[in-house]
This record gives sequence, C-alpha cells and structure tokens, in this order.
Amino acid sequence: MSGKLVVLAEALFARPDIGPALIVATETLVSLLMVLAIYALARILRLGGDVRIADADHAARLADAAFPGFAAAEITLDRARIGALVRDRAGRVLLIRRHGARFVGSELTSHAGIRLDRHTLTLETGDRRFGTLTLDLGADAQIWAASLRRLDVPEHAA
Amino acid sequence: MSVWIADLASRAARDGLDVVPFAVPLFIVAIAIEMVWAARRAPTAYEPGDTLTSLLMGLGSSIAGLVVAGAILLGAGWLYAHRMVTVPVTWWSWIAVFVLDDFNYYLFHRSAHRVRWFWASHVNHHSSQHYNLSTALRQTWTGFASLSFVFRIWPALFGVAPGMLLTVGGINLIYQFWIHTEAVGRMPRWFEAVMNTPSHHRVHHATNPRYLDHNYAGVFIVWDRLFGSFTPERDDDPVRYGIVHQLGTFSLWTVALHEWGAIARDMWRAPFRAKLGYLLREPGWSHDGSRDTTTTIRARWRAAQGED
Repeated sequence: MSGKLVVLAEALFARPDIGPALIVATETLVSLLMVLAIYALARILRLGGDVRIADADHAARLADAAFPGFAAAEITLDRARIGALVRDRAGRVLLIRRHGARFVGSELTSHAGIRLDRHTLTLETGDRRFGTLTLDLGADAQIWAASLRRLDVPEHAA
Repeated sequence: MSVWIADLASRAARDGLDVVPFAVPLFIVAIAIEMVWAARRAPTAYEPGDTLTSLLMGLGSSIAGLVVAGAILLGAGWLYAHRMVTVPVTWWSWIAVFVLDDFNYYLFHRSAHRVRWFWASHVNHHSSQHYNLSTALRQTWTGFASLSFVFRIWPALFGVAPGMLLTVGGINLIYQFWIHTEAVGRMPRWFEAVMNTPSHHRVHHATNPRYLDHNYAGVFIVWDRLFGSFTPERDDDPVRYGIVHQLGTFSLWTVALHEWGAIARDMWRAPFRAKLGYLLREPGWSHDGSRDTTTTIRARWRAAQGED
C-alpha cells in the first residue's frame, strides 16, 4: 500500500502527462486535508478558550472598540458574562456579545424584537448577521426592558 | 550554480515561475509552530473557527486563482505583444521589476481601502478579529472580478515580461505571510525603517481610529513613508483587529461576498445621482452623510481626545 502511495507521489511530483485537472484536484485535496489538520490542531491545543466579559470597565472598552467614541454611562452584564448592554449619555444602546474568542457589538435601534421573561432579555438588533441574543440580567432585566421601550419604533412596526 | 540560477531566471521570465505552491508547506509548518506558541503564551491569539474560515478562504482563493490565471496571463501577454520597449532579463531588471511591482501593490492596496469597488474584494482579508499567520491566508475569492490585477500587469505594456511579473508577484505574496503575527514584536530599527514588518502591518489591520487606513505597503514600508500613509504602532494604543463593523460570523459566504451584497443593496436603494458613489467612493460613504467613513471616525476620535 505504502509502495503504491510512493509511486503515486513520485508520479505527481514528476508531473508526467496525467493532465492538469488531476494535478489540481490532487493539490486541492491535499490542501483541504492540511486545512483540516490545522483546524484539528487548534482544537487539540484548546486555542480560543472561554472568554468572558470581566467587568463593567471591560464592557465599556468593548463598546468603545465596537463604536469608537462610545462613552458608556450605564452597563448591565449577563450573569455568565457572555454579553452586555451598554448605554451612553445620548441614550444609544449597544448590545455586546461573544464571537469566538472576541466580542462584537451592534446598536439597538428599536424595541421591536425585545422580549422580557423574568430575569432574561431576548434581543434582536435588526442585523441578521448579529443574530438574536438572550441575556440573563437578573433584576436588571425588568429595569432595562422598561427603558428599552423608549427606543424608536421602526416604521414597519407602527 | 550561477549558470543554473541564470537558466532558472531566464525560464521564469519566459514562462513565469509560480513560487507560491512551493511555500505552502512552509506556511503550514509556520502556522503549527505559531499555534504552539499561542497555546503557551496567548491562547486567544487563535480561534479554531476563525482559523478554519481563513484557511478555507485561502484554499478558495487558490482555486479561483487557477480558474482566472489564464485570463490574466492572456491580458498581460496581449500588453507585452503591444509593448513600447523591451526590458532585458538581467539581474538588475529582476530587482527593478520587483521594486516596481511592490510599488504597484502599494497603489492597488491603497485603492483597495479607498474605493469601495476594490474594497469589496479585499475586505475579507481584514474581516478576522484575530491577527496570526492564518489571517495571511484569508485571501479574496473575487479579486479577478474587481479587475484589481490591472494594477500589477500594466508594466507588460512597457516591456516587462509577463513571466517576471508573475514571479515577483508570488515572491511579494510570500513575503507578506510572515508579517501577519503578534509573536514578533519589533525588528531591528534599520529593518523597520525600510521593510514592512509585523509591527507595521498590525497597524494596517487595526480598527483603532488612530491607525485606520495606514501602512498599505507590501514588502517595502518606504512607500507609506514617501506618500504620507505611514503611522507607527504605539505601545500605549494596543491594536484591535478586524473591520469597523465586525462581521460577527465565521460563515465563508458572508466573509467572501458580504460587501458585494451591501453595494448592490445600497445602489438599488440610492437616488439615481448617488448610485455610483456607493460603488466608487470610500467605504462608509453615504449620500446623506448618515454613515461613518474612516475620515469621520478619526475626526470624531480626535475631537474626543481634545476634550479629554
């Protein structure tokens, strides 16, 4: 078996008249296997890890990173620290969520799509890529739900 | 030895020597080594999902490149057939063509950040929030469609053999691989002064307002220094990576095509007089000023800094 593989490898390196399509297909397959091997190595080494929002200051920095100049005035953190809501003095609200080993933020522009269930708030930003996020905010959930009702109502929801 | 090199150079000029495939095993080994470094020093420097997306973008880009390489070479060949002069193939012309091609890369790259049409095919390279060697391979699938190759093949009209352009372009690409890392701090001062380095290129991948739209260089950072687009990395402003509006997804299709879709939507909705602006103005431009460009972001940040 290994002998056949060596013969095949030698044939490919020598690139005889086996046709460019076969060469390309083989190179692509080998590349794909290498890609998967690297991905497996990243998983085995546990890269990325389990990142969380450390505290309110961290959430404020994440908001500033997502929207340069965003000055956080009010912050509430998810109990598991996987997300946060951040409001500035002008009343703009950012939703921060984990994305792999980093965080992303999106502005909440409407209270449509926000649902309160005791201690959890489920939020949609209107950005399909950002998706829907459920935050466990404890007692803050009801307070923030009430304040988020002041966000503009989109025209189509009126 | 010298005869062998001369023969190789001559054949490369005539047929083109695609050096990138020879470097791929080195890319893979280097990524594996950087991953081991990350596991010990900075585990969040890599994210498996992000890495998989980057590498598959690289693989897709290679396939797309194979499909369109013939057309690009045909274009370069046509220009060369109608050349005004002929550049001889000598050791000094190889060096001159390498430098010229790097300058052309600078022009392309600057355009790729300042013209949304070109940005649409380049944004994928910046869409990772990580900065590691796998990010280097997060390459475009749509470069040919954006016609960005025109920046690199025009010297054929002035007598540079297409094979030389292909060869030096590949070397340029390989050089840029190693600068996508956080594992290297600063290189010696003389090297930082002339060459593009991890430090300079980290700045280029930054979303910090201070750093946005700087350091477009490929191999030689001197182009940025000459044309006023250079800014150094600062220890008091750690780089945050990605794009102004982070994608928040590892989806290949989103990474590869999202900006094209956004352009189409914007042009569809825009008033007639503004349509071309959404195609040819800088990313973030809008006819009613409702969006942010890098210029407005930086201006607002500077104003805030002044207030502090």
